[in-house]
Amino acid sequence: MALVVGAPASMAQGADSVEGQTYVIGTDTTFAPFEFRQNGELTGIDMDILHAIAEDEGFQVEVRSLGFSAALAALSANQVDGVIAGMSITDERKQIYDFSEPYFESGVQMAVAKDDEAIKGYEDLKGKTVVAKTGSEGETYAKSIAEQYGFTVKSLDQSATMYESVKAGSAVAVFDDYPVLAYGIAQGNGLKTVTDKVPGGSYGFAVNKGENTALLAAFNDGLAELKANGEYQKILDKYLADPTASTPGNFFDLAVKSFPALMTGLGNTLGVTAISFAIAMALGLIFGFFKISGNIVLRGIATTFVNIFRGTPLLLWAFMFYFGLPQLTGWDISVWTAGILTLSLNAGAYVAEIVRGGIQSVDPGQLEAARSLGLGYGKSMQKVVIPQAFKMMTPSLINQLIISLKDSSLLLAIGFAELLYQGQQIYAANFRVTETLLIVGVIYFVAIMALTKLANYADKRFNK
Amino acid sequence: MSTASEMNSQVKIQVTDLHKSFGSNNVLQGIDLEIREGEVLCVIGPSGSGKSTLLRCLNKLEDITSGTVVVDGFDVTDPKVDINEVRRHVGMVFQHFNLFPHMSVAENIMLAPVELKKMNRTEARAKALELLERVGLKEKADARPASLSGGQKQRVAIARALAMSPGIMLFDEATSALDPEMVGEVLQVIKELADSGMTMVLVTHEMGFAREVADRVVFMADGVVCEQGKPEDLFGNPQQARTQDFLSKVL
Ligand SMILES: Nc1ncnc2c1ncn2[C@@H]1O[C@H](COP(=O)(O)OP(=O)(O)OP(=O)(O)O)[C@@H](O)[C@H]1O
Ligand SMILES: [Mg+2]
Repeated sequence: MALVVGAPASMAQGADSVEGQTYVIGTDTTFAPFEFRQNGELTGIDMDILHAIAEDEGFQVEVRSLGFSAALAALSANQVDGVIAGMSITDERKQIYDFSEPYFESGVQMAVAKDDEAIKGYEDLKGKTVVAKTGSEGETYAKSIAEQYGFTVKSLDQSATMYESVKAGSAVAVFDDYPVLAYGIAQGNGLKTVTDKVPGGSYGFAVNKGENTALLAAFNDGLAELKANGEYQKILDKYLADPTASTPGNFFDLAVKSFPALMTGLGNTLGVTAISFAIAMALGLIFGFFKISGNIVLRGIATTFVNIFRGTPLLLWAFMFYFGLPQLTGWDISVWTAGILTLSLNAGAYVAEIVRGGIQSVDPGQLEAARSLGLGYGKSMQKVVIPQAFKMMTPSLINQLIISLKDSSLLLAIGFAELLYQGQQIYAANFRVTETLLIVGVIYFVAIMALTKLANYADKRFNK
Repeated sequence: MSTASEMNSQVKIQVTDLHKSFGSNNVLQGIDLEIREGEVLCVIGPSGSGKSTLLRCLNKLEDITSGTVVVDGFDVTDPKVDINEVRRHVGMVFQHFNLFPHMSVAENIMLAPVELKKMNRTEARAKALELLERVGLKEKADARPASLSGGQKQRVAIARALAMSPGIMLFDEATSALDPEMVGEVLQVIKELADSGMTMVLVTHEMGFAREVADRVVFMADGVVCEQGKPEDLFGNPQQARTQDFLSKVL
């Protein structure tokens, strides 16, 4: 890739030819058959169409699978040049985005659990709850008939979770986009359709209004080309006509197949936690000392820092750093940077409190004795107070490290490819939610147990 | 009042009109005091009269509100004076020992000489062993403070205070936290130190000991020096009513 990875091309240059350009395209994480991961590779109808058009028109794409809402937020923040995410073209969206020609004619269909004999049509939904995907055509349609048939619509974020809640009985039916549903059923998601497809909107590729016109034109051009040469139909058939090709086998097969992707996720989880915790320790030491300093300004700074990051949710900062900061500053913030900022500032606030408490728990006579020997404040702290404080702090620090490791899973919301995110990618493609989550849970558990053992060993070794 | 030998020796500590207050609590209300080289000064007085505060002002563990304290020619109230340098000449022994629990006995003693780059570790350890021998605890060099008795801890603390070879030693009720049977061993070490010619200021409740080792006794009450003199005079023939009253209660 010739361009700096991560810099959207629209910001790098304003040429109107797409030849040789690299565009950053945002997409959903979990919208099979349009985009999903298979053996770690992002694939699906959207991906195949996008890559075929890019090849045809001679430009490069860097795809970021962020999640539907996150991809749109990233588009608004100019972190991506365009979004292809099985997105319906609506009037509302047309006010903020420019859409390509429709590349897929969708529709809405209802599905119920396979063994459900009670629901045979919309009339049987009276007094029941159904689920639909937030912001989708399915949701709009379900809501439009909800009053007429007397049912309640609950909105969820992912197809896989919707199917699970129907199977688990917390909703009796799901309204979802026809292709997704058809693909899921063929994958053995345990649902069946009992009503006909309602013809609905069409999907389009979106760019910010008035921007990236060359890219949009190239997309339309390439799409027409694909339709003309039959490539387009081949792509659709690949996913909708024979969707069973990739069905994994038993639990063990699932574990083996998903292992490489999950290990990548674990690596990212451990990496982001380690870097963030190292920074958090430094921040915590600085602000912990500020907190006990005689200087009222330093104390004020430390108290403000601690209160801000202890008093606000971690997720809010993840969104703020990833979506908000680029818009405010124009900087390009990678998902790693945003993730590390979020985790390290949050953990730093807690570590500052741990450091303050640890130092204050050391008998003041210790500092006095060291000072009376002629050691300076810094030396006295370093040689006498901190070693004793550290010993008392260690259990709390280990605890905070583990909390940070678990908290890192929240970064999936900004598309950081950590362990749970990888799990989501897997069940979004195969609909085996429970089993996949079980595997992810076991990996977290083993990793955290190993880390705890290691930390306790180090504690015994160095703090005897 | 001064003997010929005191007249000849040089002034080690000069306290002039020392005031110290904690908020609105005026703890020291104008102390004037002169301590000469080799002198052993005992400070006695009722609880809360400001004895500890006075002692802690001598090495500036407390900030001084007003007045001057000159130690070895350094005015400790002068911000330009390196207080750490002054403290190296002044050893201090605390009521509660304040040994460093995460270090061995020898490391406690070696800390200052090594960190202040006065000695390398080998020299510092040799010095530590020599000091421990002096307080009768050579065999405890590698023990942890937690494994020692109170009397042993205080003897280690004395050895630690001596590590930088100070010219002055300050003791703040060095035996009050000890079980009675351990008081003697610590007083013995302090007495040997006094006999060796060390300049010392001792805050103590041990009147018998004060009488035995002191060259001069200072009686403090309510933040001022109420009366001072040779032990036989102060204990035998106190002039002030407050002194008489105090002594009648403690003797
Ligand atoms: N750090 C401090 N902050 C506030 N007040 C203090 C502080 N240290 C001492 N004081 C007060 O100063 C007064 C004198 O205390 P100081 O410890 O000097 O008395 P003392 O003569 O040593 O008494 P004792 O025989 O009980 O040790 C007391 O009223 C005490 O409450
Ligand atoms: Mg006292």
